[in-house]
Amino acid sequence: MQGSSSFKIVIKHLFLIIFTLATLYPVMMVVRKSFSPGNTFQRSLNPIPEKVTLQHYEDVITKTDSTGRFLFFRQLLNSIVVALVTTIIGLFLASTAAYAFSRFRFAGRGIGLNMFLIVQMFPATLLMIPLYVIMDKLNLLNSIAGLVLVYSTTAIPFCVWMLKGYFDTIPREIEEAAWIDGATRFGMFWRVVLPLSKPALAVTALFSFMTAWNEYILAETFLNEESAYTLPVMLQHYVGSYSTSWGKFAAGSVMVSLPVMFIFYILQKNLVSGLTAGGVKG
Amino acid sequence: MSKNKNPFNFLMKTNFKSLPLFIVCLVLLLVASLVVVLRVQKRTVEQEIRQKGIKQILQINAAGTSNIENKSVKKFFKLKAHNKFNNKLYNFEFVRGFDRSNRNQEFKGQLKGQKFASLHDLATQALADKRAVMQLNRGNPPHAVIALPLKNNQVGIIVKNITTRTAPTPWLGIIFIIMLATAAFFLTPEPWKIIITNSIGALGFGLLASGYRLTPHGTLGEILSNSPAGFTRGLFPTIWLATSLFFIGTGLLYQRGKIDKLIATIKSNRIAYTYILPAMLGMGLLVLLPFAIGLGLGFFNHCNGEFQFIGIDNFVDILSGGGTSLGNPLNFYFTLGVTLLWTLLNVFLHVSIGLSLALILKDPLLKMKSVYRVLLIIPWAMPNYITALMWKGMFQQQYGAINIILDKIGIGGISWFSNFWPAFMANVITNTWLGFPFMMVVSLGALQSIPSSLYEAAEVDGASKWQQFRNITLPLLRPALFPAIVLGSIWTFNMFNIIYLVSGGEPGGSTDILITEAYQWAFKRGERYGLAAAYAILIFVVLIIYTRITNKLTKAAEDM
Repeated sequence: MQGSSSFKIVIKHLFLIIFTLATLYPVMMVVRKSFSPGNTFQRSLNPIPEKVTLQHYEDVITKTDSTGRFLFFRQLLNSIVVALVTTIIGLFLASTAAYAFSRFRFAGRGIGLNMFLIVQMFPATLLMIPLYVIMDKLNLLNSIAGLVLVYSTTAIPFCVWMLKGYFDTIPREIEEAAWIDGATRFGMFWRVVLPLSKPALAVTALFSFMTAWNEYILAETFLNEESAYTLPVMLQHYVGSYSTSWGKFAAGSVMVSLPVMFIFYILQKNLVSGLTAGGVKG
Repeated sequence: MSKNKNPFNFLMKTNFKSLPLFIVCLVLLLVASLVVVLRVQKRTVEQEIRQKGIKQILQINAAGTSNIENKSVKKFFKLKAHNKFNNKLYNFEFVRGFDRSNRNQEFKGQLKGQKFASLHDLATQALADKRAVMQLNRGNPPHAVIALPLKNNQVGIIVKNITTRTAPTPWLGIIFIIMLATAAFFLTPEPWKIIITNSIGALGFGLLASGYRLTPHGTLGEILSNSPAGFTRGLFPTIWLATSLFFIGTGLLYQRGKIDKLIATIKSNRIAYTYILPAMLGMGLLVLLPFAIGLGLGFFNHCNGEFQFIGIDNFVDILSGGGTSLGNPLNFYFTLGVTLLWTLLNVFLHVSIGLSLALILKDPLLKMKSVYRVLLIIPWAMPNYITALMWKGMFQQQYGAINIILDKIGIGGISWFSNFWPAFMANVITNTWLGFPFMMVVSLGALQSIPSSLYEAAEVDGASKWQQFRNITLPLLRPALFPAIVLGSIWTFNMFNIIYLVSGGEPGGSTDILITEAYQWAFKRGERYGLAAAYAILIFVVLIIYTRITNKLTKAAEDM
């Protein structure tokens, strides 16, 4: 019995190692490409680069526009500003609304909640045409302020559902205790409910941040000056219709993915419970 | 009551309960008038630019186009245009490709810091029509951008500032109507106060605006003899109708006491509404409004910037298959079939791979669990457009790793994107890679919550591993797995990035799913926004039905 189960463990390890390697292989190829010279892929399966060069990283970082300004840092700054401001606005809007949906019974509550759910089903890509027109009218095309507005509002329905689900699990008695101690409505929300919901808030923040950091198609449509691009648009252009600089794409991908993967790993445990408990069942 | 004794008694009794409502209506009236006025003024500007601009195009054509030099370098080219009218040299730098054969190629042009998103369209149109084409920009100052077809399929572009005068805003008329409405407010009896006041406002506004709108068309005689072109066209009738309906509607509601009730509800739920207000404002402007426009757009046809109402023709066109056979990639049912197959296959693969991994990782004797776990969720953590492009590279015919592997095994490389099944499978492989970690993590979490005593009891009873899986694991996994599957299938159904970036619908649009198909109609196949919106509505309907069914299933499962 003992022998067969340790044999099983070895088999499991073997399977997991092969599966993990197969899963990570494409990523390793990208990392390899980012360090090896030349802009196309080599006909090679070895994930370890034969020659190591930082040329692609240097190229991506030092790319300048026609007037000689560094583009990468501008685009990086755009992405950071867009993602951070989106997160802050999104958190504020979603947490207040979710609190109301969770704690108050008011006329229009049911309609509102259903509406938030239904709106999510409408393909976001297709909101693009009307959004483009509205952004144009508001003179927000080609500006990161416009992007921030769009991102933080399109993420709201999902975040509201997620947060509402979490707020529902916080017992009202805690708030009532605070009420007796003389807390105001806002005080209860700010000092009691929000601190208790840190895990859910972290997930919501992660969700908003990742949406804004990774979003590509709206940014591509709304922005048309290189200095206003966010990083995803920049990256896509390296392998777009007119150029195939796989090396630069790979180097850029590594730089763009690392921060978001880092944040993802810090918060991922909360993510699953947040998504399944709050997000769907409500 | 005493109000019947003296006909003017109500003057004494005028109460100001309805004053806030009256003020709201007045402000709306003002805004609506100004909208119409500004539109008319813009149109006058536009007409003048049009007249002047056309003259100038003729002159430029006559005076010779030799002032325009161009340099064509492959797909990119720079263009210099010397405008002899204001003696300035304009540099056009075409930042992105300019592909004449494909009108829908994206293009962005720069002109001394200014941008013309449609410069490419302008140039293409000029070439196609073999005549000068002009675009009017109501910037400050207003200017016309003119594209001229030159020899050798080149286009010259000229920018001309234009001075215009605008018709004065009819402040007098607006003030008069507001005074009239105010007078009506004070002179009419209570339950009817708002409806009468509002009707007068709506009527006056309509008369004023239509009168103003017709002024540029000439004298009254001219307007009456040449049917007043602008009267029924454009936004004006809609605005007038909408405001009138709103005014009369609020009046009626007020008269029946509904408004009071609404205000009372708002007052009693004041705190709740304050919390929701910020989110609602943002959502209203940037989600609900586009959503409503998107819904409406499905009933229009878009052609060269003009929208035309065509009823349900778009839907008929889509649902009847648009005259194509079932096997045609542009046929709706073909795309729907591909979408369903895509969703089913993906969700099945996500769940089975994710669940298997979770079952393996669950083994308490297994070491280094967290290492595997951390490594295996990398695909989930990576931005999905990078995943898509990365896999596109993997599937490349010549240098892609997949073909090299196939070569080594001896099967030989495949041209992945020239046949339906390889292209479809390429998409599925990419999306499976992307999606299994989510299911794995969900299953792991759920498996951990199953008490091990259940398995021990089953062991004692002599149940086989398979029986344990069937009778303990699966039923207890369901509450956690089911929502994840619903969520995952909606994500997959609308997974735009993978399809768009990996196969791009190749070959011939056959691997497009509904959402990318809609995108293609809107942005790649001649700006058919109406048709694209109709597609979006159909996607929406399908998903609503789907969630309805799954909701019922969850409810049934919970009741069991």
